Amino acid sequence: MWFNAGRGTVIRLLAAAALLGAVAGCTKETSPIDPIADAVAEFTKGVDEYVQLRNHLADSVGPLAETMSQVQIAERAKALAQAVTIARAQAQQGDVFTPRAGAVFATLIKQEYSRRPPRVKETRGDAQEELPDFVPQVNQIYPTTYPLATFPPELLPLLPQLPEVVEYRVVQHYLILRDIEANLILDFMPRAVPVVE
Amino acid sequence: MARRAVVAGLLLAGSPAVLAAQDQLTLPLRENSVRFAVIGDAGTGEREQYEVAHQIWRYYQAFPFTFAIMLGDNVYGPERPQDLLRKFERPYQPLLDAKVEFYAALGNHDDPNQRFYKPFHLDGKRYRSFKKENATFLVLDSNYLDPEQVKWLEDELKAAGGGWKIPYFHHPLYTTARRGPELELREILEPLFLKYGVEVVFSGHEHIYERMKPQKGIHYFTAGGSAKLRRGDTRPNGVTEVGYAADRTFMLVEIVGDTLHFQTVTRTGKTVDQGIIKRRVTGKPAPVAH
Repeated sequence: MWFNAGRGTVIRLLAAAALLGAVAGCTKETSPIDPIADAVAEFTKGVDEYVQLRNHLADSVGPLAETMSQVQIAERAKALAQAVTIARAQAQQGDVFTPRAGAVFATLIKQEYSRRPPRVKETRGDAQEELPDFVPQVNQIYPTTYPLATFPPELLPLLPQLPEVVEYRVVQHYLILRDIEANLILDFMPRAVPVVE
Repeated sequence: MARRAVVAGLLLAGSPAVLAAQDQLTLPLRENSVRFAVIGDAGTGEREQYEVAHQIWRYYQAFPFTFAIMLGDNVYGPERPQDLLRKFERPYQPLLDAKVEFYAALGNHDDPNQRFYKPFHLDGKRYRSFKKENATFLVLDSNYLDPEQVKWLEDELKAAGGGWKIPYFHHPLYTTARRGPELELREILEPLFLKYGVEVVFSGHEHIYERMKPQKGIHYFTAGGSAKLRRGDTRPNGVTEVGYAADRTFMLVEIVGDTLHFQTVTRTGKTVDQGIIKRRVTGKPAPVAH
């Protein structure tokens, strides 16, 4: 399982949440540790389910190998995106970034941002604003005419590790999950990332 | 197509333009050396890209190199088949016909699916390494430097042995340009570069040419002006050795044993920087000779 490799991530998540004292959803009756682990597990389960589905669809679309033909690359990406979109026609925002997982991630990201010096925050802010008017949707093709904002490299190790076909992206205050080969947004989380003024 | 390139090459070989390029060449042209071109942020499909490409082809006549490294933003905007044609295949057609291989790194304007586009030699991966004689090139994806990539990089650097180790990637760790250096990347990458004896690093992203004074012994080049230009966007300071932002540029590099020769040329063929970097055997920064 891909998440096994990210065990350190869970520990960091737990430590971060413990430091913060409380994360949305924690109550006095429940240990603050378990709900966080549960939230992360919920997220990884959602990602696993997505990857299982899209890998099955990718098999039917056919493998993508190196080619001289950009036509083949573009057609394959389009076919995969279409197949995923049809199979996940009912998918909604929050299916993978569940509310509980979202609360954990947002807290963690906010805490991480607060540790960064102004110069780093400024660079991150510039990247976040590369798509100023973009409002993501589930099953939306990531706009191909815009750059893929650079993901803060020191934030990445703090988030659960993803399988190689999926990646995180930050656009404005959104944390996005993107299928790389299909160039498709499979879920997103609003207000996950501080907007640097 | 190949025939057309050969004819073009023959026509150019004896032309005053080629002779001029020979006159302007500062590289030693030694036998069995590693020779390559460096282009960054080139994939606009606009006139300036074609003019730079023409100049590279002109220099190729005097300085035949076997490969070119691309520092990202290989294809701006849409990446439809016709875009790849207009923004990559057409401008570099003579070089492609001459069997020059292009090794691309991914920039923030590049669809990661470019890794499946064979002429970019990414082998289906977002990051990879390749070896040319005594030089190991490490192609990084600085858009998404996840822990797996960092671990891979360390493993590759460890395994690379004693020759030149040359990482290249899109975002510069040192630059004086407007957007500034990528400090987060620097925090992660620089310790590895120092630990494993990296001496030369190439980046793009900023649409200028810049060579920094050795930073902790490492020579950093920013060469992201092979089509786009942010005119005047250098702020020479204590860390800048040479900055040039008045025209588009490309680089030519020749590695001869323990020396690396470089020459930076503008779209009009003017040399704006040149030098020699000798591999250090101790921890001291390698000096640049002019």
